[in-house]
Amino acid sequence: MLQRGRTQRAGSNTWIIFTSLICLLLLAATLDAAPKKNTKKKASPPPLNLPPLKTQEQKMQLLGYIRQTMPTHRIGSRISFSSADLDKAFEQELGEGAQVLAKTIDDETFIRRAYLDLTGNLPAPEKIKAFISDQDKNKRSALIDELLETEAYARKWARYWTSVIFYDSEANKNRISPQTLEDWLAEQFHKSAPWDYITVMLISATPERNKAKRNDYGQDFGPNNFVLACENKSTELASQTARIFMGISIKCAECHDHPFDNWKREQFHELAAFFHPSTYSMPDKDDPTVKTVVQPRFLLGEKPHEKMKEDARRVSIAAYLAYNPQNYWFARAYVNRIWSELLGDGFYDVDSLGPDSEVIHKPVVNRIAANFRYKDFDPKWLFRLIMNSKIYQREMRTIHSASELFTAVRPSRLRPDVVAASVENLVGDDKKLHQEIMQAFDMNPSLPQGALEGSIQQALLMMNHATLQSKLSQSDLKQSLVKIESKEELVQELYLNVLARHATEQEVLRNIDYIKDSPSREEAIDDLVWVLINSTEFRTKR
Amino acid sequence: MQNDALLHLNLNRRGRISRRDFLQAASLGVAGSSLLTQFQLNAAELKKTGRSCILVWLAGAPSQMETWDPKPGTPNGGETQKISTQTPGIEIAGYWPKIAAVMNDIAVIRAMTGKEAAHERGTYHLHTGHRMLGIEKFPHFGSVVAKELGDPQSDIPNFVSIGQTLSSGFLGVQVAPFIIDRPGQLPDNVFNATPELRQRRRLALLSQQENDFTAAGAEALVKEHARLYEKATLMMKSPRLKAFEFDGEPATMQAAYGKSQLGQGLLVARRLVEAGVPFVEVRTGGWDMHNNVFKGMERRAPEVDQGLSQLLIDLKQRGLLDKTLVLCMGEFGRTPKINARPPVPGRDHWVKNFNLLMAGAGIQGGQAIGKTDDNGQEIVDSPVQVDDLFRSMCQAMQINADMELHTPVGRPVKLVESGEVIKGLFG
Repeated sequence: MLQRGRTQRAGSNTWIIFTSLICLLLLAATLDAAPKKNTKKKASPPPLNLPPLKTQEQKMQLLGYIRQTMPTHRIGSRISFSSADLDKAFEQELGEGAQVLAKTIDDETFIRRAYLDLTGNLPAPEKIKAFISDQDKNKRSALIDELLETEAYARKWARYWTSVIFYDSEANKNRISPQTLEDWLAEQFHKSAPWDYITVMLISATPERNKAKRNDYGQDFGPNNFVLACENKSTELASQTARIFMGISIKCAECHDHPFDNWKREQFHELAAFFHPSTYSMPDKDDPTVKTVVQPRFLLGEKPHEKMKEDARRVSIAAYLAYNPQNYWFARAYVNRIWSELLGDGFYDVDSLGPDSEVIHKPVVNRIAANFRYKDFDPKWLFRLIMNSKIYQREMRTIHSASELFTAVRPSRLRPDVVAASVENLVGDDKKLHQEIMQAFDMNPSLPQGALEGSIQQALLMMNHATLQSKLSQSDLKQSLVKIESKEELVQELYLNVLARHATEQEVLRNIDYIKDSPSREEAIDDLVWVLINSTEFRTKR
Repeated sequence: MQNDALLHLNLNRRGRISRRDFLQAASLGVAGSSLLTQFQLNAAELKKTGRSCILVWLAGAPSQMETWDPKPGTPNGGETQKISTQTPGIEIAGYWPKIAAVMNDIAVIRAMTGKEAAHERGTYHLHTGHRMLGIEKFPHFGSVVAKELGDPQSDIPNFVSIGQTLSSGFLGVQVAPFIIDRPGQLPDNVFNATPELRQRRRLALLSQQENDFTAAGAEALVKEHARLYEKATLMMKSPRLKAFEFDGEPATMQAAYGKSQLGQGLLVARRLVEAGVPFVEVRTGGWDMHNNVFKGMERRAPEVDQGLSQLLIDLKQRGLLDKTLVLCMGEFGRTPKINARPPVPGRDHWVKNFNLLMAGAGIQGGQAIGKTDDNGQEIVDSPVQVDDLFRSMCQAMQINADMELHTPVGRPVKLVESGEVIKGLFG
């Protein structure tokens, strides 16, 4: 993997030649950027004899070289930005006369929220009880650290990003492998691979078809699957790269200059040209049969060496994307995605930012993004920063307007895999049921929570699904509840197991009354479980 | 208002829902369902047009020269023969004798011209009226119809699709297609074995549980949840659910539509329309005939021939055809030139000219609109753009084609960007 913060020693003569070529490349770029004085005919650039980029390691080396040519800030290790700093920044941002801030959540709400966010599972009753009785002042912070090291953390976020990449993909199902991508991402998150490394691996992939094997398009190598999800099409790669890794929507610019936006049509096609194996032509706006050749150019103006081959060009675009400090979109897009998942709202819609004026509380998000860069794009650093803050640990509230954002946490719909896990937590694994829940609770991971809606199918499934109902009434949970003498204790166990919290006094009374009015205890328990799994709370992060 | 409402209850074209059922269903509603609002919304339904649409989608893009624009005896014509139809002067491919027999009710559009020659993109274009370009996901036309013509308080969904289809895009799940895979069966999970009294106790307890969650700060989610549970509960008890099954349908009727999945799907579509569902899509695949197009037609055409012709006959007999738009189409056409690809030649993707069928809802049947040249490679008369088609669909459904839709980023777009209603289509 890429070594950070220090120069890599070139191991062989090849690489020395290589380095000087990169310098030439840079020189060419600088000349090009300078105002043109005497526009005489430019000498054609010297041929670029890069060694072939056969292995990932070689790609990473090239990336490292390009990175060194960037005016990267090396102040990261000296700057600190803590959760307390974040809270302070927000207080300043919200100013006086601000909205009333929601109260800080209690321990049991915190442990449920943290488990859902970091593992996608509910905490077990013993965990909840132990956490509540723990006297350690730093227990919340310790729990975050603990959960970040679990397999479940890596898996949950791998699933999230796989879904982000594939949700709208139109690629042929035989030519992609979302599962392989998910496995690879899980491995990366587990070993704390930095976000720039993950991004570069995805964007610079050049999958090749193996004709000797049926339907082998290189999808069995995890990182190939971003490019495969885009069907290796230049225009799709350009718009998906901007959407997922910069959080901006430039797809409209494929056809017209965006009315509210700073991206021009030509810029879109220059970006697309970067991903094209040979010469890229842009179709005329009015007559698509007329085409003009466009040279690759990144959104901030960087150009690759003209003689660079496709694979090297893809490495260089990844480098421009991640390492040009002026490309603040890159770090900010990641920060905004995670923030949006954790708080229920982003500073802007995660994948469709137009002009920068749409960003809410910009100074704060820009500061987090800058520090994310200084921390070498360490995903876990960001989780710690946010989850240890007061902002994250506030009670939920329905958010009506932008001015209320982040004064409370928005109650969020759980993702389909999380709903399925919560159900299977009660009835055990069931492949068919899992599939049906995934389908009924399907949601676009890039839409803001405020734009999501439930469906009738969801209600029907939770109310009536025959297998689910019969499994619930034979579940281990039910067997253990039936044996509990005290009704109050029974209700508490029920709530702890289904909703991962204790029942309130009112809930205890209400449920005891229900049991008393029922013909049998068994029937009452079935009903109480039914009510809880059909409650909004069961499918919500509170 | 209430008088209107009561009047409407009597006039309700469903006819089958009794007032008692209705009250009972409403009293079971989980939360927030005031009877008055239900009445008001039902009264509002009076204003709706009463139009419906059945879209028969031939996924894969059927060949125009093997359907409604055959060219036998020309170099591009291939093995396909032509037959005359009920309408003098209109000839179609020989695979379609039953459609030929009802041609007086059908308008053939022979000069469709599109822009998208890839399946996904063509499907999107011909379902939404918009090309797949921006980040916005445009709604399926069925979702627009469900929104504009459907009763928002309906006890069954306003848009049903038999087979997977596009979704409602930025119009949201309220008007998303309710998808069923097996025609003739009830939708999944509508059956509840719990005795009514017990179910009512459960719902009452649930509603208290929900109130607590509102108090805890989840007001908006709880509200939506209540609405969905109310709808689901209504649907479970809806007498109209019968429309998904063949209960009471004579065996001869099922046979007339054909025993195929498509035939049975079309029968369900007719039953749903009859029950007041404004939009139903029925899908059938297998039309992407790059290879072996002639044998392929022999295999695939008969079930559509039978089911679609019977649908038109049946709708007409029931007096529903005047108010029901029937469309039969795919995402684009196929190359007039037969490819030489082994083992057995077929036709590839072609978007320059293709064709489709329209019937009902005021459309003048027994006519062919537009013309292609003898080789089938050029349109020589009255080309019809996708926008023109959508404008005509809107006219048939009595929906304003210039209505503005608002995308999630607030960009206003017209339901149909440009185009004109197809000339002569409505007589």
